[in-house]
Amino acid sequence: MDVSRPTKIVPRSPSSSRVLRVILVDDDLPRATAVESRLAEVGFDVLSVIPTASGLLYQMAQREPDVVIIALDSPDRDVLESLSIASAHNPRPVVMFSESGDHNFITDAIRAGVTAYQAEDISPARVRAAIDIAVAQFSAFDALREELDTTRRQLEERKTVERAKLLLMQTHDVGEEEAFTTLRKLAMDKHRTLGETAADVIAILGSTDSKGKQP
Amino acid sequence: MSDISKLPPAEKPQVRLGFLRLTDSAPLVMAEELGFYAKYGLDVLLQREVSWANVRDKLVTGDLDAAQLLAPLPLATSLGVGGMRAELITGLALSLNGNAITLGQPLAAEIKARGGDAQKSAASTAKAFGQYIGEGKREITLATAHSFSCHTLLLRRWLRAGGIDPERDLHIIVLPPEQMVDSLARGIIDGFCVGEPWNSIAVQYGIGAVQATGYQIWNNGVEKVLGVTESWHQHHPGTHLRLRLALMEACSWLADHNNREHTATILSDKRYLDLPEDKLRPSLCGQFCFAKGETAAELPHFHVFGRFQAGFPWRSDGELLLREIGDLLGRTFAKEDTRSLVQRCFRTDLYREAARHLALPCPNQDYKPPGEHSRVWEIEPGIELGPDAMLAR
Repeated sequence: MDVSRPTKIVPRSPSSSRVLRVILVDDDLPRATAVESRLAEVGFDVLSVIPTASGLLYQMAQREPDVVIIALDSPDRDVLESLSIASAHNPRPVVMFSESGDHNFITDAIRAGVTAYQAEDISPARVRAAIDIAVAQFSAFDALREELDTTRRQLEERKTVERAKLLLMQTHDVGEEEAFTTLRKLAMDKHRTLGETAADVIAILGSTDSKGKQP
Repeated sequence: MSDISKLPPAEKPQVRLGFLRLTDSAPLVMAEELGFYAKYGLDVLLQREVSWANVRDKLVTGDLDAAQLLAPLPLATSLGVGGMRAELITGLALSLNGNAITLGQPLAAEIKARGGDAQKSAASTAKAFGQYIGEGKREITLATAHSFSCHTLLLRRWLRAGGIDPERDLHIIVLPPEQMVDSLARGIIDGFCVGEPWNSIAVQYGIGAVQATGYQIWNNGVEKVLGVTESWHQHHPGTHLRLRLALMEACSWLADHNNREHTATILSDKRYLDLPEDKLRPSLCGQFCFAKGETAAELPHFHVFGRFQAGFPWRSDGELLLREIGDLLGRTFAKEDTRSLVQRCFRTDLYREAARHLALPCPNQDYKPPGEHSRVWEIEPGIELGPDAMLAR
């Protein structure tokens, strides 16, 4: 994952001396923290990182951010889009970043789970770097999560096999190696994985075991 | 009865269909549970979404093939107001009515004290609310579920009926439906206009009382539609037709009130709304409670599916919705622009195509006269429509 690539656009562009101020809306705290620190590293001013349903409208009114980066799975997106209507209460309308028109880029961002909104008076070119960072971090977290899931599954399976082995050893009074061979043979005969077979063994032996103990 | 073998083939039998956690997603869910999608050769994956913005974006990126949409959204999205611009169309309306306005308990008491009685009329509560606001006691904030929704339209109409200026006399904000009850309980807002089951939940917890049903403000107003992008339709006309047929059969099934209780049970499932049945039953079964402890009122038209030509995407309704969008944006659309945009988004031809296959009667005209019927009426021989009166502003 290309997370550490150097930034192309410096947020402090010659056309404006002011650093872009960002609000981040994401319920996934570790991910939000990662995005926040990368944004800060390249010179964005991250005003706040907030989860869903914690007064986004209040934050918008109080802090007047230039950019809002929001996770796709946040229900607050409709709230943000309501701020596209200018009114006395909302003098600085917010537009979706997609106004810039680069369709592929937007599709990629949405697939990564990110969308962004910006104040109407800010140039989309300045905002893009912030979205690039968010997209990269979101994708990196997805990959990481997948890896973690696989590891967790493998670990669970190993534990199940160990328990099934122990149950087989106890009920049939056999050694560890024989118990494992039995388990493997059962799995091959039934065309099932070792983990699934182990779970079956636990379901059968484990339940007779507990019934036997009942008074 | 349609002969399925005569239908054009499904270009894409796997369909990802988006819905939100709302009671009127019933047609989408029941078409799956009753096997109507399978009957038309479709393998539908129902995908629960958290915002209308997500639904729109996923339709555009192709991560969803079709979705339940708020009726004004095809128009608002084609205009590009709010978020991403895209050509969205509908060839089938899914439901009429289904919303209500709920105010928090303290405000509800003030309205009652000023003679407002929602069971009697929505005008009485609006006037009482207008009187209360006129006394200038405090600032009021109300929420709707989306800027460009019938909720906003209904709320603004009700406020105006009470002599309240929705721009000046109070704040109207947008909140996700699921945050409404909690925000009301915490005093962040004073009331809301939202779809079910969120009004009934507020009532059952004694947090708020219903001041007007959507039906009272606009009799049989169009609520949800089936939305697709124009280009998706062009590439998948066969799939689209089959999808509409399956949903129309579900809507006809839902028209029978004997099926509503079972529907509440199914909808409460974790995969769908993941809410207790007793929260879904009041509006679905038409035994609706306005306030905790009150006797339920018989409101058989709280949700209308599959009758009164509920599926027909009237272009006159489209024009009305577009005028409301313009009113909200402070813009007036030229008559020709209105007509052509609505014609593009509200595809009566697609509805007729499906109705022919099901041998269902269907109107010959695309426009109906503005709402002035207080009872069931016939627009053409054999075409029965429901009352369509609107609360006077």
